[in-house]
Amino acid sequence: MTALTAAPPELLMRATNLNAAYSADGTRDVPAVDAVSLEVPRGQILGLAGESGCGKSTLGNTLAMIANPPLYVLSGTLEIAGLTIDLSTLDKGADARHRPHRGQIVSMLPQGAMNSISPTLRIRDLVCDVVRAHDRSKSRSDALDLARDRLTMLGMPVRVLDQYAHQLSGGMRQRMVTVISTLLNPQLLIADEPTSALDVSSQKALIEMLIHMVDEKIMGGAIFITHDLPVLSMVTDQLAIMYAGRIVETGPTAELVHSARHPYTSALLAAVLDPTRETRTKTVEGIPGSPPNLANPPTGCRFHPRCPFAMEVCARQDPPLVGEGIHSASCWWAKDHPHETVPLQGVSL
Amino acid sequence: MTGIIPTDALEPRGNEELPHEVAGTDVGTQFTADGSPAAGSAPDSGPTAPKKRRRSGLNVSPRFWVAIVLVAFVMLLAFVGPFVYPYGPNAAAGGLYDPPSAHHWLGTDNFGHDVLGVLIAGSRNSLFNGLLAGVIATTIGVFIGILAGYVGGWLEEALMGITNVVLAIPALIVLILISVSVQNSNISFMKGIVGLALVIGITSWPWTARAVRAQASSVATREHIDIAKLSGARLPSIMALDVFPYLASYIVMAFVLQVASAILAEASLSMLGLGPQGTNSLGIQLHWALAFQAMGSGAWWAFFPPTIILTLVSFALLLLQSSLDEVFNPRLRRGKKKAVKAAAARRAAAARRLASQPVPERATS
Amino acid sequence: MGLGRYIGKKALWYGGALLAAIVLNFILPRLVPGNPVDTIVSSLARGGSVTADQQQKIYASFVSQFGLDKPLWQQFLIYLNNIVHGNLGVSFSAYPVSVNHLVGQAVPWTLAIQLPSIIIGWIIGNALGAIAAFKGGRWDSGAFTSSLLLSAMPYYCLSIILLYFLALKAGLFPVGGAYSYGLSPGFNMQFITDALHYYWLPFLSLVLVIIGGQAVGMRSMAIYELGSDYVNFSRGLGIGQGKIVGYIFHNAMLPQITGLALSIGTMVGGALITELVFNYPGMGTLLFNAISSNDYPVIQSITLIITVAVLFANFAVEVVYGIVDPRIRAAKTGEK
Repeated sequence: MTALTAAPPELLMRATNLNAAYSADGTRDVPAVDAVSLEVPRGQILGLAGESGCGKSTLGNTLAMIANPPLYVLSGTLEIAGLTIDLSTLDKGADARHRPHRGQIVSMLPQGAMNSISPTLRIRDLVCDVVRAHDRSKSRSDALDLARDRLTMLGMPVRVLDQYAHQLSGGMRQRMVTVISTLLNPQLLIADEPTSALDVSSQKALIEMLIHMVDEKIMGGAIFITHDLPVLSMVTDQLAIMYAGRIVETGPTAELVHSARHPYTSALLAAVLDPTRETRTKTVEGIPGSPPNLANPPTGCRFHPRCPFAMEVCARQDPPLVGEGIHSASCWWAKDHPHETVPLQGVSL
Repeated sequence: MTGIIPTDALEPRGNEELPHEVAGTDVGTQFTADGSPAAGSAPDSGPTAPKKRRRSGLNVSPRFWVAIVLVAFVMLLAFVGPFVYPYGPNAAAGGLYDPPSAHHWLGTDNFGHDVLGVLIAGSRNSLFNGLLAGVIATTIGVFIGILAGYVGGWLEEALMGITNVVLAIPALIVLILISVSVQNSNISFMKGIVGLALVIGITSWPWTARAVRAQASSVATREHIDIAKLSGARLPSIMALDVFPYLASYIVMAFVLQVASAILAEASLSMLGLGPQGTNSLGIQLHWALAFQAMGSGAWWAFFPPTIILTLVSFALLLLQSSLDEVFNPRLRRGKKKAVKAAAARRAAAARRLASQPVPERATS
Repeated sequence: MGLGRYIGKKALWYGGALLAAIVLNFILPRLVPGNPVDTIVSSLARGGSVTADQQQKIYASFVSQFGLDKPLWQQFLIYLNNIVHGNLGVSFSAYPVSVNHLVGQAVPWTLAIQLPSIIIGWIIGNALGAIAAFKGGRWDSGAFTSSLLLSAMPYYCLSIILLYFLALKAGLFPVGGAYSYGLSPGFNMQFITDALHYYWLPFLSLVLVIIGGQAVGMRSMAIYELGSDYVNFSRGLGIGQGKIVGYIFHNAMLPQITGLALSIGTMVGGALITELVFNYPGMGTLLFNAISSNDYPVIQSITLIITVAVLFANFAVEVVYGIVDPRIRAAKTGEK
């Protein structure tokens, strides 16, 4: 999705050719993100969906520049806010090189915010550390003023600043973590399953807060990672579907949900989106098989062993990128069936 | 419990109830888990699907083998030694502090006994004492720990209350008090090595109980326990069949530490003069060496051998425990230097290859 | 508010432990079949170290002091009363010297050797363990293996090895004792420099083992913390490495503090034996001599004093723990 992107909204960030691998014990490498490129328009939320273990969080960590051994980013550039950042973590100074960008350019809203704040740290101390990590000239009270203003603006109680993480409820803690991760008005927020551990009403509050933040331009845009498709369809403007380390389809959320071009997308959506009695019984066996072992992925299209439309070519050659406008899919079937939507029932069995 | 074993070695890390993967899905699979990251590889196989064993199966560090070799060496000395070495521990074989010679490889001690002969007998008794006391302490500790952790409620409060009280009183002091009493009593059975092992075992269970309780109470909240309850299983059967197996790896480590600490407890007591009577042990050997001024006489052969064997045993067992810990808890493991270098080279090559590849172009339909 | 309740609860626990220890100290010798006084006094007589007249006196003083002709519960009250008044009785072997006097001479030496070595060893050990965890690589394997070896060494084994090589062979330190023959303890320059000369070797052998044990514990604690969520999040916020290490250190410290509470007893026990090796005139050597001469009042007093000291130290450590860990103040029960 480079050349043909017909100047819709202004581009916030573009990530090109991301490759990241886990190197366990030094004995073998497991490529978890394979030649991924992504774009996020300004002011929009991009959803990243896929089964567990497909590399979503790894991609998130790569973009947030927090990849840490045993995860290594082999290559990739991130263009954002006029900067071009080399994401590779192979050289020794990578961490120091990336540090100033973290939190300010790209910020992370982590999975499982339960333990995201050191249990022995008051929220206000973390706030000060965050602010002062990027601007030494700011004093503690500057930092606290900033946090107070932000909390007031979002309608949250200011007293939480004086508390420890364990004193907050789950929903409040996750919202507090969100406030902290967006305190410096980052260009891009990477939210990794922020709602997964929350009850429904806390989920709703958090999602509303995130949308509010984008609207208020507290952040330039966001990538929302989850396997919770109903949440995604509520929050996101665009979707990217990931399978076995690769992005198989991207497009505007509404379009993707109603006219998927990749059989995997279709299967994934069928497994969740339609909560009627019949589909629910089907979802149990939703997609036959399980995602491949990334240490030894299938050749050609990685989905072909599970794909009901698999052809001979799928096992042999990497699928082409097919699509027009901002909706595209990597699929041989899609190439042979232009403008067609994957028939749902064909996939979900 | 004297001296050296960090008794908190098995304490839960951080404040999590289940620091290790130990009580994780399936104890059997822990051996094959080779630290491959969750993201990227196959999804969690869950408790019912043990992964097939890869390569050498047990993934252990060189440390493990060092520990095994050291333990084997001491075992060999203690149990095979008597059949090979001609001098027993009680025969007068020479004069006071004869230096090592072709006949007496490690010389003689203050009684004129052959030092190696005494060392062999002492090692055997010390090992025997350690194993017996370790079994007793681990059994009591595991029983109380599982009972407290699994049943919970007031029983847990009460049992852990007792445990913590016993834990707070220095074990050596209790041992000294009991030993002094025993020595002045007329129960000859208790004055021997078995009696001492019994006493050590009975006084050193608390920290095993404490560590096991933390694990057991986290296992108690797992689903398979509910299933066992619903299917009408009774408490002893649940404790033995549904809780115990999940703690097995943990208990093995606790046992190893208990053996080491019992051996050292015996040595400490014996050095104080409270050891088993009418027999040999590493501690008793040291006691006589100190009492008869072996150090001042420069008779290094009288005190170094038991010192070295004690250090070796205790080091080997601690090493064994820590390498088992790494097997059960892969997070503690660090890559080997060679493999890390090879991996770095491989990654750099992959990065170069990727950089030379063009970004995939879009095929329009 | 939370802290007060926490300390109160702990005080209750340790009060219970103290009571249990006193009861143990009282009851254990009395559980043995036969009258302990008879056994002990007769064995003293066999050794020929006391005359029949002395034996009679000892017997009488023991019976009256402990009320051996009274029922058990009264004996216990007498025992408690004696303890509360700081009266530890009279020594058998050094009759009629009071136990208070003997113990009073030994305690300063033991304190001087144990307190600094435990505190310094704990601090250095934790720092080393943290460095090994953060630096990894050669630092880690080197520091870890040597720490493991050190921590695996019984105190007295390291003492024997150091004593032989550094004192006997190299002649760097005196071979044993605490001060030169002919000097008498006092606060003068000459005595203190002399005592320091004797001090280094026992101190070194204690501190090294403690460093080893603490470093091993801290290393695994810190590695565990390194993988936690808050480290990841803090990195994602662009917080510097140094600050994050600070968070980790604080959190990894906490279990180390409880670890200290648990192992003080063990350390003190090990250190007592070390005194034997160096013939250091502290409680350990006093205990050793008392055991070999069956000096029951001295043995019982030393075990009591050590127990009380260890319990008190544990209590102090737990209070510190309550102050540094906010979760405790949130009245979280559970562990302990």
